[in-house]
Formats: sequence, C-alpha cells, structure tokens
Amino acid sequence: MNEHRTEQQLIDYAFDLASDAAKRQARAHLDQCDACRRKLDVLKGKFAALDLLADEIQASPDLLAQTVATATGPRPVRRLPIWRHTWIGAVAAVIVVGISLLMVSTLQPGRAPQTPAGEPVVVDSAKASEMKSESLAPAPTKRIALAEKDVAVQTLAPTAPAPMASLAMAPLRKPTEEIVEKPPFAPASAIELVVLPRREDIQLTIYNGADLTLVRERRHLTLKKGWNWLQFMWAGTLIDPTSLTLEPVTHQDRVEVQQLVFPPRLRELGRWLIRSETSGQVPFELTYLTSGLSWRAFYMGTLSQDELTMDLQGYVRVDNQSGEEYENAQTRLIVGEVHLLDQIRELAQRQYAYGSPLPDGVKGMGMMGGMGGRARVKFVDLAFRGAKDDRMGLLGDILERKEIRKEGLSEYFLYTIEGAETIPNEWGKRLLSFEVEDIPVTSLYKYDEQRWGSDPMRFVTFANDTEHELGESPLPNGQVRIYGRADAERHLSYVGGTGVKYIPVGEEVELNLGPARLVKVEPTLMDFATDHYVFDSNDNVTGWDEVRTWKVEIANARALPVDIEVTRGFETAYWELELRGDGVAYEKHDATHARFKLTVAPRHKQAFTYIVTTCHGVREEAFVRKQR
Amino acid sequence: MTEVTDESLLAAHLRGDTAAFRQLVQRYGDSVLRYLCHMTGNRDQAEDLFQETFKRVHEKGHTFRGPRLKSWLFTIATRVVIDAARRRKRAPVLSLNQPVDCGPEGCSELGATMVAPDATDPADDLVREERKQQVREAVATLPAKQRATLVLAYYQQLSYREVAQVMGCSIGTVKTQMSRALARLAQRLPDAVSVTK
Repeated sequence: MNEHRTEQQLIDYAFDLASDAAKRQARAHLDQCDACRRKLDVLKGKFAALDLLADEIQASPDLLAQTVATATGPRPVRRLPIWRHTWIGAVAAVIVVGISLLMVSTLQPGRAPQTPAGEPVVVDSAKASEMKSESLAPAPTKRIALAEKDVAVQTLAPTAPAPMASLAMAPLRKPTEEIVEKPPFAPASAIELVVLPRREDIQLTIYNGADLTLVRERRHLTLKKGWNWLQFMWAGTLIDPTSLTLEPVTHQDRVEVQQLVFPPRLRELGRWLIRSETSGQVPFELTYLTSGLSWRAFYMGTLSQDELTMDLQGYVRVDNQSGEEYENAQTRLIVGEVHLLDQIRELAQRQYAYGSPLPDGVKGMGMMGGMGGRARVKFVDLAFRGAKDDRMGLLGDILERKEIRKEGLSEYFLYTIEGAETIPNEWGKRLLSFEVEDIPVTSLYKYDEQRWGSDPMRFVTFANDTEHELGESPLPNGQVRIYGRADAERHLSYVGGTGVKYIPVGEEVELNLGPARLVKVEPTLMDFATDHYVFDSNDNVTGWDEVRTWKVEIANARALPVDIEVTRGFETAYWELELRGDGVAYEKHDATHARFKLTVAPRHKQAFTYIVTTCHGVREEAFVRKQR
Repeated sequence: MTEVTDESLLAAHLRGDTAAFRQLVQRYGDSVLRYLCHMTGNRDQAEDLFQETFKRVHEKGHTFRGPRLKSWLFTIATRVVIDAARRRKRAPVLSLNQPVDCGPEGCSELGATMVAPDATDPADDLVREERKQQVREAVATLPAKQRATLVLAYYQQLSYREVAQVMGCSIGTVKTQMSRALARLAQRLPDAVSVTK
C-alpha cells in the first residue's frame, strides 16, 4: 500500500485541485486505505460547514429597488470631493465661523454661554449630523453616519474614563419598516456600536454590613423602530450579572425590554433585546448589584485643654475597588446588616452569568492574586490633596463642604451624601459626616489588673444624645482617634484611638484610649494571715479565713486631677473588706470584685489601704449566715 | 417556458429596457451582495459597493464580450472592492456601523438577517448560529485573494477558469489560492456536529 495521503493531498483531491495523475494515485490509494477514507470524510464534514453561509445573505427589495434607481437614474452632478482638499474645507469653515460670530455679536444682546475648557462637549448625534450636512456639500447618508461616529468618538472617548462596564446599541436599520414579529437571534460576535450612551443620574447605595452596592443609573439610549440589541459588558468589574435589570423610564407603552441573553462562550457579556415602536432617544434605568464598593465611618475627637469637652468630627470614607468608575454619582450609605443569599463578588466572578461557580479555592486564588498585585486604596485627604487633583473634584469639596443627610430606613439607617460624588476605580474618598463642638465628656482612668494588666486605661465617655450635642442619628461603627490640645496655642497631641460599635441614639459611648502613661497604679500586698480555722471530728481543717492587707498607691504625673477607678478581684464570692484612707470610696462591683473610686490631685501620689478577708471551706457557710 | 438568458437581458438593457436591468439585479442581487459581504466584512459597505457594482454594470454593459455574464459581473464586483480598498487606504474611513474590533463577518446586521426563519428549537438555533459564526470567522481570516477565490469558486459556483478570469490570473494560481485557502480552513473550521435543522 502507498503511503497515507496528507491532508493537503486529500483537500486537493476532494476539490479537484490536483493534477490528473495525482488524482488517479489518490483514488487508488483511497480504495484500499480505510484510514485515509476516514480522514477524507472528516475533512468533508468540516467543509460542509461552509454551506451554513451559503444562503444567509439576501438583498432586500429596498436595496434592489434603490440600486436600480441609482443606476438608471440621471447622472448626478459631480461634486467637489471636499474632504480630499482639506484647505478648501478649512477656508469654508473659517468663512462660516466668521459669519456666525458676526451674526452672534450683532444679533444677540448678551454673550452666549461658553463651554469651559476641558469639559466634555456632549453633542447630540442627530444635531451633529445636521451641522455636518449643513457645513459640507449635500452628502450621502453614509457620510452623515460617519459624522455621527466622529462626534461620538471625539466627545466621549477622551472625557469619559473608559468604562469597564459598557453599553453598546445595535439597532436594526430602516426604521420605517414594519417591525418583524419574530425577534432576531442574538448575534454571536461583537455587536455594532452605534451609540455609547453616557451615564446620567447614577445612584449608588452602599451597604457597609455586606460587600454589596446597588447601582441605579440612567442612560439615554438611541433606539430605532424595531428590534434593538443592547450589549452590556462587565469585564473586569465585580457586577453581579444575575441582578441586571433594564427598564425604560418613559415610553413604557411603546418600548419593551423583552429578554436578556448571555451568549455562550462570550464571557462577561449580556445582551438585551428591546422592541421599540418608536425611534429616537429613550431614557432607561439600569439597575444591578456590584461588589467592591465599601464605606466606613471614622471619627476624630479633640479634647479641650481641661479635658471636660471634646470637638468631634465624623467622617465616612468610600472606597471603590469594584473595577468600575462612577462619575458624579449620588451616593447613599446604609448602616445595618443585610441578609445575602450569595456573595456578590463570587457571582460577579463567574465566567458565565448563570454558570456553576468555581470551587472556593480556585476563586480565592484568582481574586486574591489579582487584588494582591494592585495598588491599594489611595487615601485622599481633602485637607492635603484637594487642590492638586481636579479629576476628583476635591477643590470643590474643600470650598463647599457637603452635607450628609441621615434618615431611617426600615431596619437600616440611610446616609445620603449631598450632591454627586466621583469615585474612580481603586480610589477612596473621605467625606465629612458631622462636626460637633464642645461635647461634654468625662475622662476616667480605670485600673483592673485582670483585664488590662498593670497599666491603668484611659477612657473618655459621652452619650449620643441631645445633652451632648449629638443624638440626631445613630453613629456607625468605626475607628475613633482622640487628640488633646497641648497648650494655649492649641497644638495637638495624640491621646489614643479605639474602635466603636454602632451607637444608637441615647446610648452612652465609652472610648478606650489605651494605657495611660502619666498615671500609675501600684498595689502592694502588705500583710497576709489566716484565721478562724474550723476542724472536723478528725481534726482535719475544713474551713478558714485569709486576711490580706493591700496598699494601693496611685501616682498622677499629669497637670490635671484624674478620676480613677481601681477594680480588685478576690477570686471568691465570700469576702468582706475594710477600707482605710481618706478621699476614697468603694463599692461591690460584682460577686468577686470591689471597685474603688478616688480623685488624685495633679502631680500627686495618693494611697489607700484595704484589708480583705476571704472565707474558705465551711467558713463560707458562716459568712453567708453572717451576711443574712 | 424557458428562462430569459443573462445575455438577452443585458442586450435588452442596452436597448434601454429598464425592466431587463431590474431583472438582472434581482437575479444576481443575492450572490453579488453575499460576495461583497464576504469581501468587506461589513453589510453597510457591501451595500454601498453593491450599488456601485450595478451602476458600473449599467454604464459598462456595452463592454461585455462574453462568454458568461456571471463571471463578468463578479469581475466588476471584484474591481469595485479593490477600488474601495484603495480609497480606504488613501483616506481611512471608519464606518459608524462597524466597531473597531468587528471581524469581517462579525456584525449584528449580518447576524440579524441570518435568523433562520423556520428554526424552532432555540438550542438548535444557538448551535447553528455559533457554528455559522465560527465559519464566518474562519473565512474572514483568509487573505483577500484566497477569500475571493473561495467565495467565487465555492459559494458562487464559478469554475476555476471563470475565477481566473474574474481574478485576472492563471488557473494554476487560482488552484494554488484555493488549495491554500482550504488548508487554512481545515485548521479553523469546527468539527462536524449534528444540527437538527
């Protein structure tokens, strides 16, 4: 048997491309060789796929009629191809502009508003085409369409930071035709880009209790009468594709969003099929959930020099790691926990909208790997960065502080940031939530060796109520940093920081500022004795008392008097205490602890002594009887 | 009743019979448009060139010397495509309806018109459309000459001799182009799967 035929030889044989001699040899070989026959069949099967395109394109009756009319009609007057001679266009443009300016200056009483430099010039595509068609010689339809494209590219591309989630429209042509009842199949390849609609009125509702943000955005889509495909891509973002909804804001009776399809093998892409009985711009509202946007509250307190009052500023910081840029978004922040069935981040990272999610391990590797390589959030401090970065609009923030409006919302609390915010991807933004001066506060030092070790802790206490100039709304959990005014020049020193939990209205807030450095507490065991032994009939000890004498010395190195609570534990509930010393009082804090309270003068030491007797064994019963 | 031949129609057209020209356009409209779509990858541009092609047929009908009108028609269409390509090279023009990354066949206009009217099962539609798309992409990746040869020989059923006339080259060249085109397609076309329709 001859050698097997190559694929090329088989193709040439099948398509009559080989020489006669080669064809004879191939035929003879194929008669004997099963493998080559099978190979040939496979090839034929493959090439049979070419037939799929055989009859798919048909010239419409309109096109045929138009073609006949164009070909048989009178010859058009030859036009000067103005676009080939740019100088003619330039001269014409100068003349037109000159005449226009002359007319404006002579006819209009006031000056026409001017577009500021750097601002995006949004030109309605229809108007743009009119402008083009007026300034140029009467142009064919295609040329006008080209003008629309030019305008779209020039006005949108440089100003809008290329959105990772983008919309593209694919209207069917010939709006005057009757609408075909059967919807067209979703084209499998890239879709035509006719309009890149700008976002308008975008609203973000960010839940800090979960990695969840509700995005509602409004876009004006240019629809043609008939079926329109709208493509939405979310590549590189954390948008949950299962949450996508699209609704027309107007023309609901004439525009119908029929379905959302997710074409196979095309990742992170969905297409809406829209049936429109009208053509032109229609506002749509697009809603979806995304992950990666978060906000958190933090506070900055400044204690007065006498530490009796505190100025408190509350801030919220919004971080955007969603992969999407949100420009001029109305931002609403929700305090409270929401119940989520799925993690949006995981839904968003599915390869296909409704496909099976990857195993956790794989997902985690992908996400964390991606995030790990990124620059972390760039913190933007209004006070220091604003003037440099116009993109963020921070200068405006400094000049005109925004108000954050608060209102209750079912189980949650809603904070609405006044105006609109631009939050670029991977950026964070800090906003002032509230600012209150002279909140009465209580400074207190606490010493509890069992809880905090040998250092006393410093606390500042106030309440979220009207008496403390607060109480307007709950305070979200967040970090608190406390500074103190060090001198009359109002220089600041860092006092301490802590985290606070959600503080409802009326609740007291106790801020633990950490170990005190200028106040020391030193307890010393001065004496130990046992007493009141009880023996059983075998002379074994069954009960006894232990008597300890403790001296507690408090050193206050501060220039201010300090109130201090010293908590002492006895490891038994059967104790009694005798206190010796002036200016100190104690109370039973709980079954096993006593709490001493005193005020220590500035730069003074003060000591008190207590003798505690604890009962053990059967002496506990005697202690109980005595207490009764 | 015998069908009027192409040559008779052309002769009638040259005598000023508009109906004859209309009949010619209707007879070859689909195949010429299909060829132009394959060659340009853009329905709008193909329709422009379609009009241009028949305009030239109308104007240059008297230059037809045979033997077959169909191949002459495709010769004109090929010339129109080449001229358009040259114009585009001189002054690049973006079409509004063609996205930057749109493949030669990757336009929704094409997709929209390719809906199988009698398709009933959405799954079959889906498979069929995806396979079509793969074929479109495979054909679109061919170099222009190979693509023209393939479209003329395979889809338009012109003989290699006629293709050579259209392309203005020898039969050997046509066969070489065809052979290379098919070899390349063999690597790119999807394997045969059963489609119910």
